Amino acid sequence: MLRRTLLATLLVAVAALGVFWWLTAPAALAIALPSRAPDLANGQEIFNVGGCSSCHAVPSQPDRLRLGGGLPLGSPFGTFYAPNISPDPTDGIGRWGESDFVSAVMRGISPEGAHYFPAFPYASYHIAKVDDVRDLFAYLKTLPAVPGRVRNHDLPFPFNIRRNVGIWKLLFMDGGPFVPDATRSSQWNRGAYLVNGLGHCAECHSPRNLLGGIITAQRFAGGPNPEGEGWVPNITQKGLGEWSEKEIADFLETGEMPEGDTASGAMRPVIKNLAQLTAEDRAAMAAYLKSLPPVDGPTPPKRKQGGA
Amino acid sequence: MKRMMIVATTLLLGAGAVMAQQEVAVQQDNLMRSQAKSLYTVIQKMTKGDIPYNRKAVDEALANLEADVAKIAKTFEINPKQDVVNGSYGASPKVWQNKADFDSKIPPVQKAIADVKGKITDVASLKAAYTAVNDRCNDCHETYRLKLK
Repeated sequence: MLRRTLLATLLVAVAALGVFWWLTAPAALAIALPSRAPDLANGQEIFNVGGCSSCHAVPSQPDRLRLGGGLPLGSPFGTFYAPNISPDPTDGIGRWGESDFVSAVMRGISPEGAHYFPAFPYASYHIAKVDDVRDLFAYLKTLPAVPGRVRNHDLPFPFNIRRNVGIWKLLFMDGGPFVPDATRSSQWNRGAYLVNGLGHCAECHSPRNLLGGIITAQRFAGGPNPEGEGWVPNITQKGLGEWSEKEIADFLETGEMPEGDTASGAMRPVIKNLAQLTAEDRAAMAAYLKSLPPVDGPTPPKRKQGGA
Repeated sequence: MKRMMIVATTLLLGAGAVMAQQEVAVQQDNLMRSQAKSLYTVIQKMTKGDIPYNRKAVDEALANLEADVAKIAKTFEINPKQDVVNGSYGASPKVWQNKADFDSKIPPVQKAIADVKGKITDVASLKAAYTAVNDRCNDCHETYRLKLK
């Protein structure tokens, strides 16, 4: 009897492991990439929309195009270290093929077929157009190679198991492409594409659940800073109702707020990126943001009892 | 009785310490607000044309800003370990974890102010001066200023 029970338990365990393995298998993006001449100017625009530099530039040095990585990114799950995405052949992405890069950005899968952790915002990037990602890759190749491999992430068990990310993706990553809203203007649709996709604004400006998934009903409604201290503001009309569309666009360029203040904290590097965009793209983002219906976000703590 | 007195005194002292800390936080907040008044309520508004350009007002705002900036290191010496009640912004605890680095962000602001002082003659030069100074403010706010709600 005991032997039977043990055997049954073992079988169930093996089956469960099998299902886990099957569910969490990293699936690279299998699409044909017909050869085309990259548009480097568009690649640069995408680079700045995507905010690549804010995480991947070498910290504590002024050149935002040296993408040797190393910036620590705190989270409730441990500390991530942004990898080297410069064209260095050994430490960066110099030997990557175009499909490797597209799979990494749009599916969060490494060239070796492992899941990236969603600190890399592929859950937003996945709605990008493949050609935009290809232009970005071509642009990155024009930047200086920076030697130096970045240290491994510092994550406790079980968050360090990459296979688990497969489950996270099933729960929180919607695989569909961007679907334009035919009832809206082309400017609005461009804004929606940039804000939700490469701009990945919702990644910080939304509250997250215990597993680190964005709470869809409160998308863009702000929440605690995922890095720990402070609060990320509500950017639905609940928070920005008094800002005109033009004021939002101006803020994205200069960081200046209508109430007579300027952006601080993690928004500062974002402004540095967005300042480089075309005025049309900033205006499109502003048009989309201005259209977001007011949504109540979580309530910030009344008063922080700051630790030393 | 004696014991009760001791307990009561301790509680009072404790409450006093908390109040004092709140006072420190308020002082720090007021210093930053005073600078915001010079740089944003006066200078930034003029660069945008919200209020007319006025050389005397600019010089005064810059002088006030310069005086305030000189007080930052001292005013932020003590960690109040709390934020101003209902404040929208606060100082990150990182200020006191890396006080030397925090302090090192101040001289560049002072230099930026010194560089433009007395050289602002019109809205165009005011705009350039505003950006030069504000960028140095931002260098510090990027790391040490927290939005709280």
